[in-house]
Amino acid sequence: MATAAGLGSRLDAGLLAGCVVLSIVAIALPSQAREPISSSLRRTIVAPLVGMQRSAEQWRTAWVSNEIRQAQADSLAMRAVKAQALIAENDQLRKIIGLGSRLQWGFVPAEALHSTAPSEEVVTTLTLSAGSSAGITRYSPVVAPEGLVGIIQSADPSMSIAILYTNPDFRASTMSADGTAFGIVYPHSSGGSGEDAYMLELRGVPTRATLKPGEMVYTSGLGGTFPRGIAIGTIVSQIKTPEVWTKTYLVRPAVTPSRLTTVLVLTAQRVTQGTGNIWGAMSNTDSATRHIVAAGDSITRMAAQLQARARAAALDSVRQATIDSLTRAGAIAPGGQAAPVVRDSSLLRPRVPAQTAPRAAVPRPDTAVVRRDTIRPDTTRTPRTLRP
Amino acid sequence: MNWTGAARTVVVCAILIVLQYTLRPLLAWRASIDFLIVALLLGAVRMRPGWAAVYGFLLGLVSDSLMVNGFGAAALAMSLVGFSASWLKAVFFADNLALNGFFLFLAKWVFDLIFLLVGHRAHGVELIMQILVWSPLSAAVTAVAGVIALSLLKPLMEVRTA
Repeated sequence: MATAAGLGSRLDAGLLAGCVVLSIVAIALPSQAREPISSSLRRTIVAPLVGMQRSAEQWRTAWVSNEIRQAQADSLAMRAVKAQALIAENDQLRKIIGLGSRLQWGFVPAEALHSTAPSEEVVTTLTLSAGSSAGITRYSPVVAPEGLVGIIQSADPSMSIAILYTNPDFRASTMSADGTAFGIVYPHSSGGSGEDAYMLELRGVPTRATLKPGEMVYTSGLGGTFPRGIAIGTIVSQIKTPEVWTKTYLVRPAVTPSRLTTVLVLTAQRVTQGTGNIWGAMSNTDSATRHIVAAGDSITRMAAQLQARARAAALDSVRQATIDSLTRAGAIAPGGQAAPVVRDSSLLRPRVPAQTAPRAAVPRPDTAVVRRDTIRPDTTRTPRTLRP
Repeated sequence: MNWTGAARTVVVCAILIVLQYTLRPLLAWRASIDFLIVALLLGAVRMRPGWAAVYGFLLGLVSDSLMVNGFGAAALAMSLVGFSASWLKAVFFADNLALNGFFLFLAKWVFDLIFLLVGHRAHGVELIMQILVWSPLSAAVTAVAGVIALSLLKPLMEVRTA
C-alpha cells in the first residue's frame, strides 16, 4: 500500500516536473521556434476556440459601434433642439436691436429672468437684470419689439421686478389705432392654456365706437405712466357684459411673456417725451410686407394663368390652321365631315390637278368669327346693364 | 471518479472553456473573469496531482497559443496551480462556498503572479499596479463567477465530499 502511494507520489512529482520543464523550454525557445508551434495549435486544436473568440469580438465591436452611433444621434438631436432655441433667441435679439435703434435713447436693455413659480401656469412677474443704478425707477414701462410687456414694480440697484400685463394689478389706458376709441385694458382670466392663457380685456369703450376684430390697440398716453403709441394687442371679439353704455373687447396681446428673454425698460424722461409712432410704423411695415408678399403671390399666379391661356390659344390656332389647310385640300368636307380616306392604291393612279378656287374667295373659318381665346380677359368690358 | 462523473466533469469544463472564448470577449471588462482557472480547479480536484499538472499544462498551452508573446508562461502557471489545487482538494471541495471562492481567488492571483513574472508582460510601476490592483480585482471577479458557476452546475456535478 505504502509502495503504491509512494509510486503515485513519484509519478505525480515526475509529471509536474515534466510539465514545468516543458513550460520553461517553451518560454526559453526563440520566437522563430515558438511561432510554428503556436501557429499549428491555432490551426488545429484551438481553431474552434479562435472562431468563437472572433465571433464574440465581432459582436462586441458591433455593439460598441451601435452605442457610439446612438450617442452621435442623441447629440445631433440635442444640437438640433439647441439650434432651434438659438434661432429663436437670435430672432428676438435682432428685434430688440431694431427697436433700440428706432428708440435711439431713453431706454435700458435688460435680461428677463422668469421668476414665476413652476406651479403657476401663467407668467405674471419678471426679474430683470438691470436696476435703479441703470436708471430704472418704479412704474417704468417694460417693452418688447412686439409691444407692451408690463411695468416695474420694484427697482433695486442691480435688478428689478416687473409685473406683466397678466398680473391682476395691471392696468393701462388704451386707444384704437385711429384714436377714436379709448378704454382701459385689464388682464383677462380665461383659464385657457398656451397662447389663450395670455389675453386682455379692453373695458370702458364707448358704445358709439366700434372696434373690428384684428384691429390694433395702443397705449393712449393718458395718465402719464405709459407713453402714447406702444402696441398692446389686437381685438379678437366683443365680450357680452351687462354694461349698457360701454363695450368690452377681448384683446390678444402682442407679446407672449413666456418667450421673453430680453426687454427694454423706458426711462422717465423718455416716457415724458413720448416714443412717437414706433410700434404703429412697425405694424404698418409688417402688414405692408405681408401685402407685398401676397401681391407677389397673386402676380405669379396670374402670370401662370396667362401663360396657360396663351399656350392653349397657340394650340387652338395650330389646330384651326390644320383644319383650314385640310379643308382647302379637300380632305375635310366644308360641313366638317371628313372626306373618304384615300388608300395607297390611289397613288398608282395618274394625278388630276385639283381645281382650287382662288385663295381669297374661300373665307377662313377662324376669321369669320372672333375667337374667344384671342381676346384678353382684362380688355373686355362688362356690359353697362350688368354694372351695378 | 467513475465514468459518468468524468464525463460530467468534461462537459462542465468544456462549457467553461467555451465561456472563456465567448462571454469574456463580449464583456471585455478591465478586470475580467478567468473561466479557464475555474475549469482548471474544477477538473484538478478530481484528478491526481500529477495529472492535474498535465491538465493545467494543456489548458495553459491553449491559452498561450492565442497570445502574442510569453508562450509557455500560462502553461507553467497553470501546471503549478493545477498541481496545488489537486494537492489541496480536501480543503477546496469542502461544502463551503466562501472557502471555494477564497481558493478560486487565490488560484487566480497566484496564476497571474507567475504569468506576469515569468512571461515578462509588464515592468516597473505597471507590473506593481497589475499585481496589486488589477490581478486581485480580476481574481475577485473570477471567484464570484466561479462560485456562481459551482452553484449552478452543482446538480450536474457529482457531489464529492472531502
